[in-house]
Amino acid sequence: MKTLRIAALAALLGATALAAPAHADVKIGLLGGISGPIAAMAPAMIDSANLAISQVNEAGGILDGRKLIGVVGDSACNPQNATDAATKAVNLEGVIAIVGPHCSGAVLAAANSVTIPAGVTIVTPSGTSPEITTLQDNDTVFRTVPSDDYQGRALARTLLERGTTKVAVAYLNNDYGKGLAEAFRAEFEEKGGEIAGFAAHEGERASYRSNLADLAAGGADTLVILDYGDGSGLTMLRQALENGFFENFVGGDGMKSDAPIRELGADNLTTFIASAPVGQQSDALEVFNKAFSDIGGDPNAIFVTTSYDATFMLALAIEKAGADKSKVSAALREISNGEGEPILPGEWAKAKELIAAGTAIDYRGAAGEHNFDEAGDVPGAYALFKVSGSTFEVIAEME
Amino acid sequence: MGAMEIVNFYLVPGIVVGSIYALGAVGITLVFAILRYAHLAHGDLATLGAFLALAVVTLGGVSPYVALPVAMAVTAAVAVGIDRTFYAYLRERPKIVTVMASLGVALMVRAVVQIVWGVDSQTYTRGIVRPENWFGIRIRDRELITVLAMVGLVVALQLFLKYSKWGKAMRAMSDNPDLALLSGVDNRKVVLLTWTIVGALCAAAGVFLGLNYELKAMMGWSMLLPMFAAAILGGVGRVEGAVLGGLIVGIAEEMSALVLPTEYKAATAFAILLLMLLVRPTGLLKGKVL
Repeated sequence: MKTLRIAALAALLGATALAAPAHADVKIGLLGGISGPIAAMAPAMIDSANLAISQVNEAGGILDGRKLIGVVGDSACNPQNATDAATKAVNLEGVIAIVGPHCSGAVLAAANSVTIPAGVTIVTPSGTSPEITTLQDNDTVFRTVPSDDYQGRALARTLLERGTTKVAVAYLNNDYGKGLAEAFRAEFEEKGGEIAGFAAHEGERASYRSNLADLAAGGADTLVILDYGDGSGLTMLRQALENGFFENFVGGDGMKSDAPIRELGADNLTTFIASAPVGQQSDALEVFNKAFSDIGGDPNAIFVTTSYDATFMLALAIEKAGADKSKVSAALREISNGEGEPILPGEWAKAKELIAAGTAIDYRGAAGEHNFDEAGDVPGAYALFKVSGSTFEVIAEME
Repeated sequence: MGAMEIVNFYLVPGIVVGSIYALGAVGITLVFAILRYAHLAHGDLATLGAFLALAVVTLGGVSPYVALPVAMAVTAAVAVGIDRTFYAYLRERPKIVTVMASLGVALMVRAVVQIVWGVDSQTYTRGIVRPENWFGIRIRDRELITVLAMVGLVVALQLFLKYSKWGKAMRAMSDNPDLALLSGVDNRKVVLLTWTIVGALCAAAGVFLGLNYELKAMMGWSMLLPMFAAAILGGVGRVEGAVLGGLIVGIAEEMSALVLPTEYKAATAFAILLLMLLVRPTGLLKGKVL
């Protein structure tokens, strides 16, 4: 028995020795909602993150010529899966930092139970809940997408400017829907609008007619749906249209999905508008658009710019921090604080030289400048979209 | 709120969704009665049936009603295949092993659906259908067909169980397996027949769910709990109980929005299940098994 134990111990030691050779590849986690309600958005987001990784590897690799490897994990847009996926990435794969998870609830769970205790820096490209701002995270949680606090408020102001003063709000009962809905309600009411119905709903149900009837009872003719267009948001929109509960429909970024156009038809969506974050026109955005189109991606897909930026910035931060995970978050602030030599998407070789020479750099991302504030948030720009043909078209910039 | 609105926006959707629950609950109750375990892959088999019908609709360009029998037949074959491959092997072991195995089967079936058809929401026919107005009651053709089809399938099943030789054999197995085996009932054939019927009913539930709402990889899984609640509410082992249970759960879910905040709608099935197990564990119609 004793020999067996010693043998097992020796085998374990051997395994750890094998697992950590001197020049290991550098791994970062790519956690996304590959299955679950945002499964339709996730592939493009992962593709754009992988674009950043392949650019790094093609231009000389990371640190002393090592390969950067993206370890994909499925956070399934829910807290349990996100915790599992983050645990696996941090403890088994030994990632140095994480891009993701994609959904707000997943970010909060993964951060609180795994990455904050482990001191691993995470950058979410799409977790937009205001709750993320207030995490006690030792400065390890960042995002390249603006908080829904901005979006909810901007949407409220834009609707009031457009003359809509009475709305009903249906939101998905999760961190994303709730955060956005609360921000919207606060601003809408403060600026003199009337909320004639405000109700959460569970996702993945078959029938929402009673929910809609309840909301319509308030007398509003505009319904604000803060949900996912591939999930229950689509079901709600369909049943509201079919039964004539409301005339006008307004969605948040989650509703700006192709699924409603594909399944309901553009003809039926003439009264549907949605807000979504947009990249400000910049050289950086054009560089990214070209690079992403070249690998067959659609640069207009939602959150691809933020996913790319999150990945590229983490690569820059790791290069600067020298593969020490405890220094990544400080380095992340240094490579994009508005001061230093500008670096555009894909300019890895140039950035690598500057970092080696000790020159300050400033990453200008496809989705924005990404100068993080104290909470690790970035300010945002939004636009209002309407359905035109088989896609969405900008109708107004939002303040 | 007028009476007509309550009928249109609470009762009618409740009956439609209740009919779909009923179709699923009948299958669950049959498995419970004859094979004596909870089959957790039931919802995902329904998903598979719905997507098989989608394949027939897209490849053959036919209406979903034509695709329904095809989907029912193929899903029945798949159900028999799953039983042969996984459950038959575990038949002599404690039933809980099979229950856990069925959870694994659920994940596998769902994964196959996700690989073959993807994870996007899909529909049999694009666009929207506004309901017809029948003397103030707003109902769509497909809702009417869903309810009628459910009634038709259940009546056919009841007649089969009551009068045919094999139906009697199934009932005998359900009442007393040992006695049935001693009197020469072929266990293998009864199991085969059960899975054929259960698979076909699963597919019907899935197709009608997809027809009335949308097709999603998770659609069946999220139906599993209300379907189990319906089966237990009606009395496990009673086909007519499952139908009654399905309708009650469906209507209660929709009606709950009248008195409770809508985010608690999904919890209604849990509440009914809990209450029933506390007050009358045998179910409304005195189930034969539990």
